[in-house]
Amino acid sequence: MTTAAIAYSALCIAVLGSLGRIGRWFWIKIGPENQEAPSLRAAARSFAATLKAVSAAGLRRPLRSLAVDTLFQLHILKHDWRRWVMHMALFYGMVLLVVLHALDDFTLKPLGVDYMPTLNPWRFLRNLGGIMVLTGVAMAVWRCRADPFRKRTRSLADRLARTFLAAMVVSGILLESVQILSPAIFDAMVDDYAFSDDIQEIEALKTYWSSSWGSGVTAELPTDDAQILALGQEMHAAFCADCHDRPQSAFLSYPVSRALKPLADRLDRLGLEGLLWYLHFITACLGLALLPFSKFFHLLATPISLMVRAGGPAEATAPALRSVRRAMGLDACTHCGVCSQHCAVAVIYQAIPNPAILPSEKIGALKRWTNDAQSPVASQLAEGSFICTACGRCTQWCPSGIDLQDLWQASQKDLVRRGRGPAHHWIRSQNAAQWASGAGSKPLNPAHQAHTLGLGDNPETFWACVQCTTCTNVCPVVAVAEDPHRDLDLTPQQVMNLMRLQLRELALGARMVWDCVTCYQCQEHCPQGVRVADILYELRNEAVRRLQPIAPRAQGSEDAQGEA
Amino acid sequence: MAASLFAALRGIDTIQVGPVGTLPFASGLLDFIGVHPVRTGRWHPNPWEAIAQLRQDESDHPYAVMTTREMRTAWKQMLAFLTDSGLPYVAHPERNMRMINPVGTVKLTYAVPRSMMAADEALRRRPPCLLVDFAGLKGFSARQIAARLKLHWPALRTTRLPIPALEGELQPERLARFLERRDHCRELAKAIKSRLAGAQAVGLPAVVGLHRAGPHFDLIQRRLGVPLFEIPTLLPSVPGRRLLDTFSRQLPRLGVRTWYQYAVKQAQIRADGALHFRIGSAADGFWVQSRAAILATGRFLGRGLHAERTAIRENLFDLPVHQPDKRGQWHHKDLLHPDGHAINRAGLMVDARFRPVDKDGAPRHPRLFAAGSILAHQDWVRQKCGSGLAITSAYAAVAACAQIPRGLEGTHAP
Repeated sequence: MTTAAIAYSALCIAVLGSLGRIGRWFWIKIGPENQEAPSLRAAARSFAATLKAVSAAGLRRPLRSLAVDTLFQLHILKHDWRRWVMHMALFYGMVLLVVLHALDDFTLKPLGVDYMPTLNPWRFLRNLGGIMVLTGVAMAVWRCRADPFRKRTRSLADRLARTFLAAMVVSGILLESVQILSPAIFDAMVDDYAFSDDIQEIEALKTYWSSSWGSGVTAELPTDDAQILALGQEMHAAFCADCHDRPQSAFLSYPVSRALKPLADRLDRLGLEGLLWYLHFITACLGLALLPFSKFFHLLATPISLMVRAGGPAEATAPALRSVRRAMGLDACTHCGVCSQHCAVAVIYQAIPNPAILPSEKIGALKRWTNDAQSPVASQLAEGSFICTACGRCTQWCPSGIDLQDLWQASQKDLVRRGRGPAHHWIRSQNAAQWASGAGSKPLNPAHQAHTLGLGDNPETFWACVQCTTCTNVCPVVAVAEDPHRDLDLTPQQVMNLMRLQLRELALGARMVWDCVTCYQCQEHCPQGVRVADILYELRNEAVRRLQPIAPRAQGSEDAQGEA
Repeated sequence: MAASLFAALRGIDTIQVGPVGTLPFASGLLDFIGVHPVRTGRWHPNPWEAIAQLRQDESDHPYAVMTTREMRTAWKQMLAFLTDSGLPYVAHPERNMRMINPVGTVKLTYAVPRSMMAADEALRRRPPCLLVDFAGLKGFSARQIAARLKLHWPALRTTRLPIPALEGELQPERLARFLERRDHCRELAKAIKSRLAGAQAVGLPAVVGLHRAGPHFDLIQRRLGVPLFEIPTLLPSVPGRRLLDTFSRQLPRLGVRTWYQYAVKQAQIRADGALHFRIGSAADGFWVQSRAAILATGRFLGRGLHAERTAIRENLFDLPVHQPDKRGQWHHKDLLHPDGHAINRAGLMVDARFRPVDKDGAPRHPRLFAAGSILAHQDWVRQKCGSGLAITSAYAAVAACAQIPRGLEGTHAP
C-alpha cells in the first residue's frame, strides 16, 4: 500500500510537473514579437493561438516527424551512426523496461498473455532492455570523455541523468540475481506453492534447483545422484515450471548470481534482497518524479519540438507561436553538445573561457536568464550571445530540431532591450570624451594586459607616425561618414596621435575604434608601417575590459529605466 | 616600383619586398630636372640642357653616370606603362611643363597626368580662369593659390562649393571616392558651370575619382565646355594614390611577386657570394636567395638611411654612406640657404653600374645595386628631380643587373 502510494505520488508529481513545464512555454516570452507582461490571460491567449496555428498546419507532417524523427531518429542516423546507436539503445531499452517491466500490470496483464516476470520471453526482454540502457549510458560517458568540449562542459544534470539510469538498471540486475540466488525466497516459495510434506521430495527439489537453476539453496542430498535429480525435476514440473523458466535467459543477472552463490546465505541474512528492491523501486520512483525537473523532460519536449518544427521554420509561423517554440526549444535541449561541435565560433571558447559562447551551454544560460533576469549568468550570456556569427550551423545540426538560430536572434534582441547589448551598442551611449572621464578610474587589469598585443604601451609602435593622414584618407569608414567628427569622434590618424601622446583614454570610447571594419587599408597604406588597424583592434579589446564595468550607468535600458 | 617594372619588362624573375613607401605622398607630377644649379635656382625649360650642364658641374651626380639614351628609354617605358595601365601621362619630350603647386607656387616638371596637362597652357596664356575648391577640403585652398598667382594672372577667380553629402573635415581621398560616382560628377559639373561667368579654364583639386579618374574627368570637362585641369593637393594626394594603385595592380600581372606588408629583416652575403634575405612580417617569414638585389629603400622616411647621433647609416647592409664628416655640418646654419643642406646629398656612392662602392671606389658586392633617392650627390628636392632620378636610376640599375648570368635565385626555408 505504501509502495503504491509512493509510486502514485511520483506519477502525480511527474504529471503535474510536466503540465507545469508545458504551461511555462505559454507563460514566458522570448523575442520581440510579444512583450506583454506574463499573465494567465496572456498565457491563455498564447495557448489558443498555438492551438489555432497547429490545427491550421494539419497533422500529416507532425505525425511523419514523430515516426521518422522520434521512433526511428533517422535524422541522427544521417549524421552519426554511433550517436544513433546510443540514442536507440537508450530509448528502446527504456521503452522495453517501462512497458514490459515497470508497467506490466497495466500493459501485459490486461492483455491476458501468459505473463510472469520469471517466464520467458519477459525475463530475457527485461535483461535485453537493461543491457541496451547500460550500453547507451556507457556510450554517452565515452562521448563526454572523448569530446574536448563536452569534457569541459559536462553538467550536473547530465551526470545525474546517467547516474539515475545506471542505478535503476544495475539495481534491477542485482535484485534479480539475488532473487535467483536467495535460499530464503526458495524456501518461501516452497512453503507457498510446493504442496508436499515429503521431506525427501522437498530435498530433491532443492537439489535439482541448486544444480540446474542456480539457486543458492543448500542441497542436503548428493547433486550427482540421477534418481534424486529426476525426483527433483518431477517436483519442479509439478509446482514450479508454470511460473519459472530457466534463469540462464537472464543473461545479465544469472552470471551475477553465479558469482554471488558462495555468499547466498550471508546475503539472505543481511536482507539484501529487500534492500535492493527498495533501492530499485525508490530509484525508479525518483526518476519518474524528477522527469519534469531534470534532463529526462526532453523525452516529452523533444518529440513535441520536432513535430512543431516539422510545421516549418520559425519565421514562417504565426508570431504568437514563435515565443512558444523558443520556450519549447529550451526544454527540448538534451545537452548532447552536437551544436557546439559544429559551432563556427566554438574555437573562441579556448581563448575566452565563457561557456555561453558554446550553443549547448548558451541555451542553459538562456534558460536560467529567462527564469531570473538578474541572474549572474546574464553577463556571461550577453558576451556569449554576441560572439555568435549567426552562421546557422547549430540549427542545422541540432538533433532535437530546435531552431537555435531563431532562439539566439530573439534572445539577442531581449538582451539589447534589457541593456545587455554588445559593446558597440553601449559604447554609443556616450562620446569619446565622456568615456574618457570615467576610464581613468578603471586601469587595465594586468591579467588582461597579458592578452593584448602590447602595441599601445610600446613607444616604437608610434615613433614613425608623421601624421600624414594616409590612414584617414584610405579609411572606408571615414569615407562613408557624413561628418567624421560627428559620426566617428576621431579619425584614425587622430587616434594614432592620441596614442603616441599616451592619451589612450581619450581614444577608448571613440566611435572610430568601434566602427573600424578591420579592412586593414590603413595599415597596408601607412608609409611608415604603423600597425593602425591592429592598434584599433587592441583598443577595442581594452575598452571592453575597462569601460564595461562603468557602462551600466550609461545604458538606456528598460531595466535601468525601471529602476530609475 | 620603377625597378620592379623595368625588371619585369626584361623578363627578370622579381620579388619586391617592403611597404609601399612614400608613393601616397607623391603629387603625381613626374619631375626630371627643373633647377640647376641649386645655388642660383635657375629654371630649365629644357631638361636635357639641364642634364648636360649638370654632367659638367656635378660629375658625381647619379645623372652623370647614365647615358642620355638610357634616360630616354626609361621615360618612354614608364610613360607607356602608365598610359597602357589606364593612367595616361603626357610629356613634351624636349621641354618641362609648368605646373601649379597646392600652395600656389609654380614649378617645372617633365610628365604630368593627362588631367593636369591643361594647367601648362593656362599658366602660359593666363585666360580668365576659375579655381574651384570645396568646403571642408583639407590640403587645398583655391584662395591661397589665387593669392599667390593673381599678381601675374589677374583673370583668376575662385569659388568654394559645398558638398552637402559630405560634412565636416573632408580628406581628398574621401572626396575622390565620392566622385567615383558618375551622377556626382554630373552634379559637380552643373554646379561649376553655374559659376563659370566667362571663365575659359577651370582648375580643380586633384580629386576627380580614383579608379575612374579618366572618364569622369572627361565627363566634367565635356559638360563645362572649357579646358579643365587638376591641381595636386597636399599629401597624401589622390594622384599619388592613383599611381600606387596602378603599380599595385599591374606589377603582379607582369609577374612581379609583391610583398608589401613584409620587410627584409636580415640580409646576408654568404661565403660563396650568394645574396640571402630573410623576408618577414610581424607573424612569419621566409628566406630568399637572389641572383641580384636592387636597394631602392629610399632615404630617411623610407628607412633606407638611418640618422644616428653622429653618423648616417645604411639600414640593411650597413654600406658606406657618403656624408659630412661631422654632425655639425649636416645642416646649413641658414635653413633656407640657396646651397641647401649637406645631409640632403648624403647617400650611397655608386659606380657606373650603380653598385654601391667603398670610399676607394670598389663595389661592395658584384650583384648588389642601388637606385633612387638613396643615392648620394643629389638634392632631389631642390633640383626637382625626384621622380626622374627614381625612374632613370632604376632603369640603369636593372640594365646592369640584367647582364648578370642567370642562376642562384630561389626561395628556401630558414
